[in-house]
Amino acid sequence: MILMLKQLGNKRIALGILIVCMLFYPFSVGYSSYFLTLFVITCIYVITSLSLNLLVGYGGQISVGQAGFLSVGSYSVAILSTKLGLPFLVVLPLAGIITALIGLLIGLPAVRLKGHFLAVATLGFGLSVPQIALKWDKLTGGFSGLSVTPSSLFASETQLFYFFVFLTVLIIWLINNIVKSSIGRAFIAIRDSEVAAQAIGINLSFYKTTMFVISSFFTGIAGGIYGYWVGFVSPNDFVITNSFLILAMIVVGGLASIPGSIIGALLFSIIPHFTDSYVGITNIVIGVAVVLIILFKPKGMVSMFNFKRNKSEKTKKNELLLKEEGNRGVNI
Amino acid sequence: MQILMSGLIFGCIYGLTALGLVLIYKTTDIVNFAQGEMAMVTTFVSFVFLSNFGFGYIPSLLLALIFAAIFGIAIHQIVMKRVQSAPPLNQIVVTLGLFMILNGMAGLIWGHKPTSYPQAVKGDSIKLGSVFITPNELFILCITFFLMLIFFLLFRFTRVGLAMRASAQDIKASQLMGIKVTSVFTATWAVGAILGGVAGIMTAPITFLDTQMMFEVLIMAFAAAVIGGFVSLPGAVIGGLFIGVFENLIAFYISPEMKLVYTFLLIILVLYIRPQGIFGGKQTLKKV
Amino acid sequence: MLTFNDVTVQFGGLTAVDNLSFEVPEGSIYSIIGPNGAGKTTVFNCISRFYTPAKGSIKFCGDEITKYKPHQIINIGIARSFQNVELFSKMTVLENLLTGLHPKLRKNIFAISLNLPTVKRSEEDSRKKAFEVMELLKITHLADEQVSNLSFGFQKMVDIGRAIMADPKLILLDEPVAGMNPIETEKISQLILNLKNEMNYTVLLIEHDMSLVMKVSDAVTVMNFGKKISEGTPKDIQNDPVVIEAYLGEVNLHAEVK
Repeated sequence: MILMLKQLGNKRIALGILIVCMLFYPFSVGYSSYFLTLFVITCIYVITSLSLNLLVGYGGQISVGQAGFLSVGSYSVAILSTKLGLPFLVVLPLAGIITALIGLLIGLPAVRLKGHFLAVATLGFGLSVPQIALKWDKLTGGFSGLSVTPSSLFASETQLFYFFVFLTVLIIWLINNIVKSSIGRAFIAIRDSEVAAQAIGINLSFYKTTMFVISSFFTGIAGGIYGYWVGFVSPNDFVITNSFLILAMIVVGGLASIPGSIIGALLFSIIPHFTDSYVGITNIVIGVAVVLIILFKPKGMVSMFNFKRNKSEKTKKNELLLKEEGNRGVNI
Repeated sequence: MQILMSGLIFGCIYGLTALGLVLIYKTTDIVNFAQGEMAMVTTFVSFVFLSNFGFGYIPSLLLALIFAAIFGIAIHQIVMKRVQSAPPLNQIVVTLGLFMILNGMAGLIWGHKPTSYPQAVKGDSIKLGSVFITPNELFILCITFFLMLIFFLLFRFTRVGLAMRASAQDIKASQLMGIKVTSVFTATWAVGAILGGVAGIMTAPITFLDTQMMFEVLIMAFAAAVIGGFVSLPGAVIGGLFIGVFENLIAFYISPEMKLVYTFLLIILVLYIRPQGIFGGKQTLKKV
Repeated sequence: MLTFNDVTVQFGGLTAVDNLSFEVPEGSIYSIIGPNGAGKTTVFNCISRFYTPAKGSIKFCGDEITKYKPHQIINIGIARSFQNVELFSKMTVLENLLTGLHPKLRKNIFAISLNLPTVKRSEEDSRKKAFEVMELLKITHLADEQVSNLSFGFQKMVDIGRAIMADPKLILLDEPVAGMNPIETEKISQLILNLKNEMNYTVLLIEHDMSLVMKVSDAVTVMNFGKKISEGTPKDIQNDPVVIEAYLGEVNLHAEVK
């Protein structure tokens, strides 16, 4: 399989195969509710790890509290659909917008922080959300959680499944467009050199806040998908270990890489499926995987697949020439 | 007053854990998310000495701390040494990986049922003015200040401390000056693990002995380290005491469940006003 | 065009720039020279608004620039290159140049995320512009190369190219030929002259390489210990005893050390 992908080496073909697999998936698992859920959970993590990669991999802003945004999204869906009785097509985008507003609130103070200080501030956010959900029981149902009113738009679980798969693909496409655009370049610029970014007219605080807003918007949608699929939200759905897991997904998959985020999310959503029958093994397996991959593939699993354009002989020759020229420059 | 006092006791534990974090960060530039889990493992080991082998408290403590040192050395030699020059995010995620491994292993070996853990010093509460304090709490207070002082002096005035500070500043230059940077880092991890172990063994009698015991402590220790500026050893302890007292006040006057939320609100507020923490040095502008 | 009026910059107790005044006329190449630590880059950092002067005013086309934030400086028409190249190291040469167009691009997040035709078109135009600049710098063959793989000389070129991308009125070049060999230096000096003669840019230059300064400059200011010690045409400067003393003094000092 890996060899095949290497030979293909082409993003489009890989994407095509992926989509076909997605379409046939419910059929191949016999519409088993368990496997459909496993797939939807994977989709949720794909969206979340992409959003986090936007922030961490592209923008260089560490966030250790991404699961907090998932919780905000899933609770928004529960509250809007059950307490206010709003329809599906309103609730899901609203969940994204509410989460984006929270992201804005977090992003505003966070733009002043760097590195570990930012990590701890976002860690605090990730820890606080479940606590607030527990405490604010008038709104959230506290410890007993809240149920989500299912949408009448979809006749069956399978239809809802296909809608969510479509939504995931759509979001992958949207995020791909963003990172390839001038906005995406501004994010990378901030990551690589804040000084130069300012000198070419990039407003640091504006773009850092924008990163948080975009990232939390999509994560909020992912949380909303969770709420609608599971039909029930509780404070223990997305705790701080989920945040750690999402961070591990992007580092293990590959920073600043869209295929990397997807690979990481797939890996860590599927591992628990195989290890859950042995209590306590999941953490060990994931932990070992994380340590091994970072020790031996520091650029993430995506570096095992040759997704990037093959270097032509010509550019390789150029590279050699450059090195030589560089050496000469130093000698003189 | 009683609230302040028990806040200070918790603060000591946070401070000790933060001290280990800051020591490792200051020297090796790595934020160790596995610090709490390393402490938890050490605490379990000390309990094995206490209950399974029937050793006394002090021998168990010492044996456990020797274990902690070896454990710290092993973690540095096997894993952390290899990511020393990796990007900070990779380092953080490796320690998160270790966190998960240690937590899972401890659960497998010792189970998930909380057990009670004996206090260091038994005895009835002593009345000091208007506050009651148990001998055990007094012991925690003393040991915290003792360790803080020791490490402060060690870092400042000894050759080892000098080597640590030099390696922290510039790895290459230190190597050229004949400092064995890797050995210094290994030693730092050993010392960091010992500090964590002490914190763990102090925590266990107050909470319970189980695999999750250090989680909240670690979070609060992070908060303490951040308030202290992440590079100041006394800052870490003072930050710990501050967080401990603040948290207890919130728990008493507002609600125990919300102490985490308010603590982090406080931290974000502090960082907003002073992005480098209270005891952190001046932020320097990158030279261009 | 750019006027410094009694500008003083202090770091703690240290005065890095002391009552500095000079004026860069439009359409000229103006150089600032001086021994290391004379405060030259500090002058640039004031214009880029990374530092704020303790006193004095800096005017650009009659507009006081100390009121602007660092990211707004490019919008009034001042771009810069950096002494130790501040490139976006994981990007390709092309992408680095494209970032230079940042202030000119429309950034509608909805249009961008849907990749609408308007976005595609402006992206196409930007690329065209980037290739023009690469042609000018003769680095077109490196378009898809990651900049961290390039030699220092080429990185400097890309740094300058990125500054040109936004079509500024004034370009600040901070030691563009430091660490370059004579052939590369020659290329850069041609480029600087081109910037003035063919593209009508005004150039403010910091440089240690005297042959370059003497060749391209219309006017020169000499700084030492944060103060202006001399000013004039390259010829005047070369014969100014104060300047000779400043430089020779430094040489003597070196001799003693050795």
